[in-house]
Amino acid sequence: MTRCLGVTLMFAGTIAGAAPLLGQESSMAVGSKAPVVAVRDLDGRSVDLGQYIGKKPVFLEFWATWCELCEELLPRIRAARTAYGKEVEFFGINVTVNQTPARVRRYLEQHKPGFRTLYDDEGTSTRAYQVPATSYVVIVDRKGNIAYTGSGGTQEFDPVLRRITSK
Amino acid sequence: MRAYQIILTFTALLLVTGVPLASAQKDSNVTVVLVGGPEVGKRAPDFSLPWASREGVGPIESPYQLASDRGRTVVIAFYPRDFTKGCTAQLQTFGEQYDSLFGPDVTLVGISTDSVSTHSRFAASLGLPFRLLSDPDQRISKQYSSKDAGGYNRRTVYVVGPDGRVKYRNMKFNALDPRAYSELRTAVKSVSGT
Repeated sequence: MTRCLGVTLMFAGTIAGAAPLLGQESSMAVGSKAPVVAVRDLDGRSVDLGQYIGKKPVFLEFWATWCELCEELLPRIRAARTAYGKEVEFFGINVTVNQTPARVRRYLEQHKPGFRTLYDDEGTSTRAYQVPATSYVVIVDRKGNIAYTGSGGTQEFDPVLRRITSK
Repeated sequence: MRAYQIILTFTALLLVTGVPLASAQKDSNVTVVLVGGPEVGKRAPDFSLPWASREGVGPIESPYQLASDRGRTVVIAFYPRDFTKGCTAQLQTFGEQYDSLFGPDVTLVGISTDSVSTHSRFAASLGLPFRLLSDPDQRISKQYSSKDAGGYNRRTVYVVGPDGRVKYRNMKFNALDPRAYSELRTAVKSVSGT
């Protein structure tokens, strides 16, 4: 009886460890497959992220001109692109809420973030990536798996970028 | 069998019976949202809350009452907090695009747990052309199923028609999705007839 009870408790303990998953908010889990979507650029041309995801590492930032944290993050993004730009494809996806293309262009000219800008006026990538807020960064490895997600102005990218590239 | 063995066995069995639900959730990315609150077609619960605007704090003896807007279309937007650094621009968008989203014949109110003094500063900082209501104990957000587990409001939006009934609701308003705003615009215009 005692042995039986012990086994039951061990099994139950394993299940209890999974219990916190109940009621969890949706999010892009590290290790999950990165969604492959097509998003327009500022000129209205469709850019198929499938040309990159699963073929090389990809860096995505969801941003807006009104986002103070995004501006705070810019130096780190520029530095990351300088260090890893030959191996990693850098995209900045403007969420387009309260953003005109002209406003975005002015910002790009002023701040020169260095990434390739996409303008998601249909919200396709915002929904696919379940973007919780601007300054949200998703880094995808060359196999198309999500290697990192984070938000805020002080994110550190070097460890994960070093890991997923040849450096 | 001793008492403690019975208790332990019972507890273990309770955990075990939760296995299918845990397994289902483990592989899904589905948000579990308890959808309560007044459904479309139902009467929107009346409420009365203190308010502030960009001009200052409203008189305490004259709180905002939903019933006072009977005959008009009312948009109620529950949101987490003023001055968040999370960079979602919902209220700013509502403010800057007020005419195209809502128009002059629609009343928009935002509701969070912030105080009226914080609301006043926040509304002034963004130049918001609508009132912000203070619901610190989330009594109203609970009625509208807009509380989250962390003591703040979830982002939800209700459109209440001139008859006082809910005409549209979005229980997970994505402030970064242009489609959320266009759907809201369509819903408001279909209700207000503009």
